[in-house]
Amino acid sequence: MAIQEVAVQRSIRMPRKRITRRVVFDQIGSFLFVVPFLIAFILFIGYPIVYGIYISLNHWNPIVGSMGWAGLGQYADLFNMQTLAAQQFWDGLKNTSIFVVISVPLLVLIPLILAFILYRSPLKNLFRPIFFFPSVLSATAVTSVWTWLLQTQGGGINNLLGLNIPWLVEQPWAWISIDMATIWWSMGFNLVIIYAGLTQLPASTLEAAAIDGARSMRMFVSIVIPQLRHVIAFVVVTSTIASFNLFAQSLLMTGGGPGSSTESLSMYIYNQGFNAMHMGSASAMSYLMGLVLAIVSFVQYRLTREGNEG
Amino acid sequence: MTRKYRRVLVILLLTMISLLILYPFAWMISTSLKNLTDAYNGQLIPSHPTFANFLAILNAGADTPVLRWLFNSIFVSLTAAVIVMIVDSMAAFALARLQFFGRTFIFYLVIASLVVPFIALLIPLYVEFANANLLDSYWVLILPYTANAFGVFLLYQFFLGIPKELEEAAYIDGISKFRLWSQIMVPLSIPALTTLGLLTFMNVYNDFFWPLVSTTSVAMRTLTVGVQIMAVGQYNTNAPLLMSLTLFSIIPMLLAFLFAQRQLTQGIATTGIK
Repeated sequence: MAIQEVAVQRSIRMPRKRITRRVVFDQIGSFLFVVPFLIAFILFIGYPIVYGIYISLNHWNPIVGSMGWAGLGQYADLFNMQTLAAQQFWDGLKNTSIFVVISVPLLVLIPLILAFILYRSPLKNLFRPIFFFPSVLSATAVTSVWTWLLQTQGGGINNLLGLNIPWLVEQPWAWISIDMATIWWSMGFNLVIIYAGLTQLPASTLEAAAIDGARSMRMFVSIVIPQLRHVIAFVVVTSTIASFNLFAQSLLMTGGGPGSSTESLSMYIYNQGFNAMHMGSASAMSYLMGLVLAIVSFVQYRLTREGNEG
Repeated sequence: MTRKYRRVLVILLLTMISLLILYPFAWMISTSLKNLTDAYNGQLIPSHPTFANFLAILNAGADTPVLRWLFNSIFVSLTAAVIVMIVDSMAAFALARLQFFGRTFIFYLVIASLVVPFIALLIPLYVEFANANLLDSYWVLILPYTANAFGVFLLYQFFLGIPKELEEAAYIDGISKFRLWSQIMVPLSIPALTTLGLLTFMNVYNDFFWPLVSTTSVAMRTLTVGVQIMAVGQYNTNAPLLMSLTLFSIIPMLLAFLFAQRQLTQGIATTGIK
């Protein structure tokens, strides 16, 4: 279709035989621009995705490679609660889900409310960078600081509040700790996105919502939120994906404990692949996790984005 | 009157939230300036501030080559960012501005790869690099980040917005496609390119999972992994040293934040619109 269009345009000026050659060269020339990206894509996304399926169909040791064909056995194992792999997978999925269910609503609601307050407040250019600042830090920097803050003895939070809470070593404190650190870390990121969404709204919407008192809150819920639903849908989905990949906070703050209560799915996959050296099984786990994640985010996206349109 | 009252209330509220957000940061700086005996006394303002911890981590010896880790982190993130900027800019230009066979297919590939979770790539990528004998090298630390579909998408949106007349005028002047890209499109897209470069630098610099599994020798670790190794190892019982190392590890991000905060926030903001 596109080729014909170009050919017709060119044929006005050029004899026929040259046209096709010219068009072919022209197309090749254009195609060359995407070749570097295609190479990177094939080597580091396309091929690994396919190769990973092959690995998951084998008993795979990181040092010797394939140790025999497993077929779908390692997937089937994940649905057979007699196996350790299944127990770990579903335990990890349960733990990760607990984290997702607590963190995602907070990671959306807190930035949403803050963005709304910030948008109408003076000095917004002073406050916004402060709220955003923790987002530029690495997971290890965040967990390193928070682990120290949350030490039962001598930690900054117990010190500040004059308490003696065993933050990292007992439930429910361990989850509260991981959630606090995560919200501190990535709240500002969502705030920036929602804030940008607010600035795109028609001025009349926000003026209506700017009236003082109880009406303001009602306007916020009934006018601002529906108009922001595309941005909110985006934030909900990306926060869910990020929270589902929970790894560093569990590994570094609680070590998966107490017991295995904060051991996330990513941690189990990491241990299965790199410590227990069952890479085939770990691959199967990661594909099943990817599938769960895809389904969850698809459903969420449909619900948040289109729910209000009826 | 009530309006003024409200404004003061809002500022007070936001100030309190800001202090809460800054408290962990202040606590880190405070601890890094304390000696070990004062570390657990709970004071926010150290009574005997010292820089000894910073000197100690910088001279910690061969098993804690902090400067080498810093070099690794910066080298790896900078290289990855530059490659991504070039590769993605070329691809986005072709997808947005040129006609060729398979263009739509490639565009869908870009979109599809945006939703591939990293966890699904972790093990096959590791095995791929193990097969190529490239684990524990700069190759393994840089190459996987070069397949950056997000950047293609970001620049694609930008290139779509450039008026067509500009490129028609250039073609009439007999300019080649390559020069159209390098001399017209790239200079025009500098704001978007800078944003992409900054975001890529930040993501690679801050990444933890991939360098953790793909490197094994002390000399090839990045700072994020270095912080983790020391946090569970030698510095586990020495908060001042650990906080000094942590503070040291975030200096490049702190600088990026101070000097390019606007571009970073704008870049992140654009990811959410559309």
